[in-house]
Amino acid sequence: MEKNYYVCTGCGLLCDDIEVESEKNIVNKVYTACRVGVAHMKEAKGEANFRVDNKPVDEATAIREAASILKNAKNPLIFGLGTSTDETQKLAIELARKTSATLDDTSSFCLGPLVEALIQDKVKTCTLDDVRNKADVIIFWGADPSDSHPRHLSKYSYFPRGSEKQRGWEEERTAIAIDIRKSHTAKICGNYFFQIPPEGDTEFIDALIAALSGKLPKTSYNYPPKKILELANILKGAKFGVIFAGLGLIYSLENLEPVFRLMKALNEKANFHLIPMVGHYNMRGFNENLFAETGYVNSVKFENGMVKHGPEYSVVESLKAKTVDAALIIGSDPLSSLPRSVSKNLLEIPVISMDPCETLTSKHAKVYINTAISGVESGGSATRMDGTKVNFKPVIETAHLSDEAILKKIMEAL
Amino acid sequence: MDFGSFLAAPEIKLKIVTYRDIFQDKAMIENRFGEEYRDRSAVIKLDPADFKQLNIKKGDTVALKNSFGRIVVKAEESGYETPHRGLAYMPNSPWSNMLVSDETGGKGVPRFKDISAIVTSAKGEKVTELRF
Repeated sequence: MEKNYYVCTGCGLLCDDIEVESEKNIVNKVYTACRVGVAHMKEAKGEANFRVDNKPVDEATAIREAASILKNAKNPLIFGLGTSTDETQKLAIELARKTSATLDDTSSFCLGPLVEALIQDKVKTCTLDDVRNKADVIIFWGADPSDSHPRHLSKYSYFPRGSEKQRGWEEERTAIAIDIRKSHTAKICGNYFFQIPPEGDTEFIDALIAALSGKLPKTSYNYPPKKILELANILKGAKFGVIFAGLGLIYSLENLEPVFRLMKALNEKANFHLIPMVGHYNMRGFNENLFAETGYVNSVKFENGMVKHGPEYSVVESLKAKTVDAALIIGSDPLSSLPRSVSKNLLEIPVISMDPCETLTSKHAKVYINTAISGVESGGSATRMDGTKVNFKPVIETAHLSDEAILKKIMEAL
Repeated sequence: MDFGSFLAAPEIKLKIVTYRDIFQDKAMIENRFGEEYRDRSAVIKLDPADFKQLNIKKGDTVALKNSFGRIVVKAEESGYETPHRGLAYMPNSPWSNMLVSDETGGKGVPRFKDISAIVTSAKGEKVTELRF
C-alpha cells in the first residue's frame, strides 16, 4: 500500500515522514512526529477572523486597513516570515520594495550570520542525510536538539543506522556536547559532555585549537587540559565530523571568527562540517531568498530602488531607535519573543499582525488577520536547516487564507 | 556568605541563562495564554544552596527584579549535579524577556541568555500574568 506522507513544519528539521489521520478537515491523529510536531499539526482553529481595532470586520475591510497603514507609513517594518513559505517570503520582499520598508526576520538576532557564512561558502557544510549516512563524530555545541529539534538525534545525527554507519551509535558514532549546563542532549552524550562556564566558548575554542596541534591547552577557568587533549584526539580521528552550532555558542561569541578558526584547524587534521541549528522551519529560506534578491540575509531597508543594509535596520535596533512608523508582522510574536524593553515600542505604532493563532502581538495589533497554518492548512516550499529544499502540501483544507494569499491581496489594494 | 544574606529578606544577585524546553514549546503551541504554558515558563531553576539562602521551598514564588522589570515566578531546583550558586536557568519565554536588557551595543542582538537580576522570596505572591 502506498503511504501518504506529510511534512511537519514544526521546526527547522522539516520531517517528511509524517502520517496523519483526518476527518472533516480536522486532524485526529499524527504518527511519527515529535511532541511539538503533533501539537503543531493538531493546532485546531475556528472560523477565519479579521479584526480592526479589536472589533471583528470582514476580509475586505481588514485588507483595506492593512494596505492603508502601509501606504501612509514612511518607513514600515516588515518582520517575521520564519514560518512562511518561500513563495510568501518572495512576495514580502516585493512588498518591502514597493513600500520602501525595513525588512528583517529573527535571524538578525540568532543564527543569521552563520547562515550567511554558509551561503558565502565560508564554512564547509553538509546535509542531514550525509550526517545520517556518514558522520562518526557529532558535536552539539550550545545546542540541545532533544528539546529544540526533538527528532534530530533519532532521525539524523546519532541513533540511525546510516548507509555507511550500520553499527550505529553503539560502535560507530561519538556524540559530544559542549554546553554550560547538562542539557537533555548532554545527558545522552554521557562522558563526552564538556561543561564550560557561560561565555567560555571562545577560550575553549582556542584551547581546542592549541590541543589539535599538540600544544598545552589553557583556559582562564582552568579547564582540565587532559580532557581538552582527549577531545582533540577524538576530533582528529574524525572521518566525517559535524558541528551542530546552537544559540548557546553564537550568543557567547563577539563574532564568528573563533568558529572560522576552529573549522580551519579541524579541517587541517580531519574532515569537519557545520550545520546551524535553525529553529523556525523556513528561517534559512528567508536568508537565502533575501540574499538572492539583495545580497544580504536580513536587516535591509529599501529606498528609491536601492537597498541599505546594517544592524540599524534590524528589528531590534529599528524598534529601539523608533525609526519605523508602522509594522507588518507575519507569523511572529515579537511582543513575546523580543525583550519587553524593546518590543514595547511596537505599542506606539500601528501594527498589522498576520498569524494563524492569537498572540500578544495579535491582541495589540490595529489589524489582525488570522491566516492558515503554513504546512498544515497551506502548502509551498521551504529550506531545511541544512539547506535542503523541501516541498509540502497542506494536510487539511481550510477557510483561512494563506499568508501568501493575504499578501497578494494587500499588494493589490496598495 | 555575601551581604544579601544579612538582610531581613535575603536577596541574591543572579545571572540567568535561558534555554529551550520541549514540554513548554508544546504547551505554547496548544495555548500560549493557558495555564500549562505559564506553569512551564514562569519558573526559575536555582541551586539548592540558593534555596537555603533565600529560605524558600520548592514551588514557592520568588521575585526577579532588575532595571528592566520585575516578575514573580516559581522556584524549582535545577537538579544539576554540578553546583551553580548564583547562576540560574529559565526557559526562554515572554517572562524571561521582561528582564532582558535593551543594551545591544548597536548590533541588534539582545542578551537573551545573559540576564542579571536580584532574586528575593515572594511567598504568597502570585505568578506574573502574561499581558502588556
